[in-house]
Amino acid sequence: MPSGEVIVSTLLSGLLLGGMHALIALGLTLALGVMGLVNLAHGEFLVAGAYVGLCLLQQLGIDPLLGLPFVGVVVALAAWPVQRVLLAPLAGKGGEAAMMTMFGLSIILQNLYVLAFSADTRTLDAPYAARPLQLGSISVAEIYVLGFVVSAVLVVLVHWLVAHSAFGRELRASASDPLAAAAMGVDVRRVQALTFALAAGCAAMGGVLIALTFSFTPTTGSTYLLISFAVVVLGGVGNILGTLAAGIVIGLLQSAGAIVLGDGYRDLVGLVLFLLVLALRPSGIGTQGRLVA
Amino acid sequence: MTRPLRTLAITWLALSMVALGATWLSDYALELGIRLALLLTLAEAWNLLAGYGGMMSLGTASFVGVGAYTLVVVMNELGLPLSAAIPIAGLAAAVLAQLVSPALFRMRGLYFTVGTLALAEALRLFMVNYAALGGASGLFLSVDPPEPRQLFLLALLVLAGTHGLMTAATDSRFSIWLRALRDDEDAAAQVGVRPFRVKLLAFVAASFTMGTAGALQGLKLGAVEPYGMLGVHWTIEVISVVIIGGQGLRLGPFVGCVFVLTLSELLADYPALHLAITGAILIVVVRLAPQGLVGLLRRPARVSVAA
Repeated sequence: MPSGEVIVSTLLSGLLLGGMHALIALGLTLALGVMGLVNLAHGEFLVAGAYVGLCLLQQLGIDPLLGLPFVGVVVALAAWPVQRVLLAPLAGKGGEAAMMTMFGLSIILQNLYVLAFSADTRTLDAPYAARPLQLGSISVAEIYVLGFVVSAVLVVLVHWLVAHSAFGRELRASASDPLAAAAMGVDVRRVQALTFALAAGCAAMGGVLIALTFSFTPTTGSTYLLISFAVVVLGGVGNILGTLAAGIVIGLLQSAGAIVLGDGYRDLVGLVLFLLVLALRPSGIGTQGRLVA
Repeated sequence: MTRPLRTLAITWLALSMVALGATWLSDYALELGIRLALLLTLAEAWNLLAGYGGMMSLGTASFVGVGAYTLVVVMNELGLPLSAAIPIAGLAAAVLAQLVSPALFRMRGLYFTVGTLALAEALRLFMVNYAALGGASGLFLSVDPPEPRQLFLLALLVLAGTHGLMTAATDSRFSIWLRALRDDEDAAAQVGVRPFRVKLLAFVAASFTMGTAGALQGLKLGAVEPYGMLGVHWTIEVISVVIIGGQGLRLGPFVGCVFVLTLSELLADYPALHLAITGAILIVVVRLAPQGLVGLLRRPARVSVAA
């Protein structure tokens, strides 16, 4: 077993990383809660964010963290037409068609990334990316702390947006009963498109944080897609603050797994946990209409 | 002789003719034939699961991988001949299906899909880390892989077996139960179909088939490693084949296989472009032809009958 300080440092970085997982899972839980969409291309929006951040840094020299809002907006704008063109016409055809469409999109995007940027492993370099923060004998990389703070703030912001804004009211109405909401004058299609764009934007910003913390390739998205599903299931579909809590729990458990079994097993712990949670909640996890803000 | 039996007899006859003709095939034709036979075997199995049973699995890679690893382990460690190793590989995949079914079948619809994807990824990550089975670099087969011609004959044999199994499963009372569950699980259960049992049988049969196909793939390469044998490309290829061909239709996998293999040969020099185009075709087919190419061809006939 490693020493006490190492264990505490590892668990702390797991906790902080969990906050970033929550930001990434946020979009997935919103799409699932509001439109019953299993977005298999969610991970590709994350990678899109990482590449936009990379372009900003390399072409314009803009610090990725400062450019974060810009990345979110760019990817959200790119995701808007995806919902209008690919998903909206499938309304009423069941969740399967939409899911398979997103599966197709994820294959397309992964390979477009390969064509545009090659399959090389990339990193976003920033002065704070590798710098350690010391707290007595405990040390974590500064980016973990920054990433956690940014993620937590964004998650709470989205929670506020959904719970208290006019858009949030329409969003909750569309989630709980799209027909009734439409009858009361809510433009459900617009709400769904906005939700999809918001989800993609959050994933993209999470992607920048991940790219700063680790490295990424065109196919990195699939790993984070599955971790996000674990977070969504544990936190409850559509439950935004639950997502934050679940992200932190999964981050901690992954670190605990890495300490006990070895670093390679980190992601495996999250997946096994996910399968267990799914299997132990026989009612399944509610699909549409369970948006808890 | 009933119609399904006649079709089966004709298919087997055709496969035997191809087998007899294998002597005159070039190495390239053999290679293509092996790929076609393996892909068709996998597609038939996935079609049973998803097309007939409504179980949209993204876990094909798990069963292919387990089959391939099992073949290499039993041949290396126990020295078993191919005639035993291939069925054992299928059995191992079937056992895996049986083991994970209580958990997976609790998830309905879309959650089943995500669960199978997680299963495949978890298995891959486990194999990458598990040193006793070679870890990330995998295992080598200690005997020499068979010649292309012999491998082609084996693949045809597996395909013929699969075809028989699928005929039994899709032209029987079992197929009606399975489709009833696909269309409305609660209603089917009300009228006496046992959901768990019927789905499990389909899942185990499909997994067995995928395991044997995986075993042949492992045999063909003479080695197994987690990225290749448990990779998501298996899942993508099989889904494209069945959805493009027509899910839930008996001819769907075959038509889809011919289409996908032709496309992959045409774009062999541009792998990334090939996959991107496959994704685009998948989206278009889901949107415009939910019953795939076979469904498109069949539609006019059906209209004329109605008129």
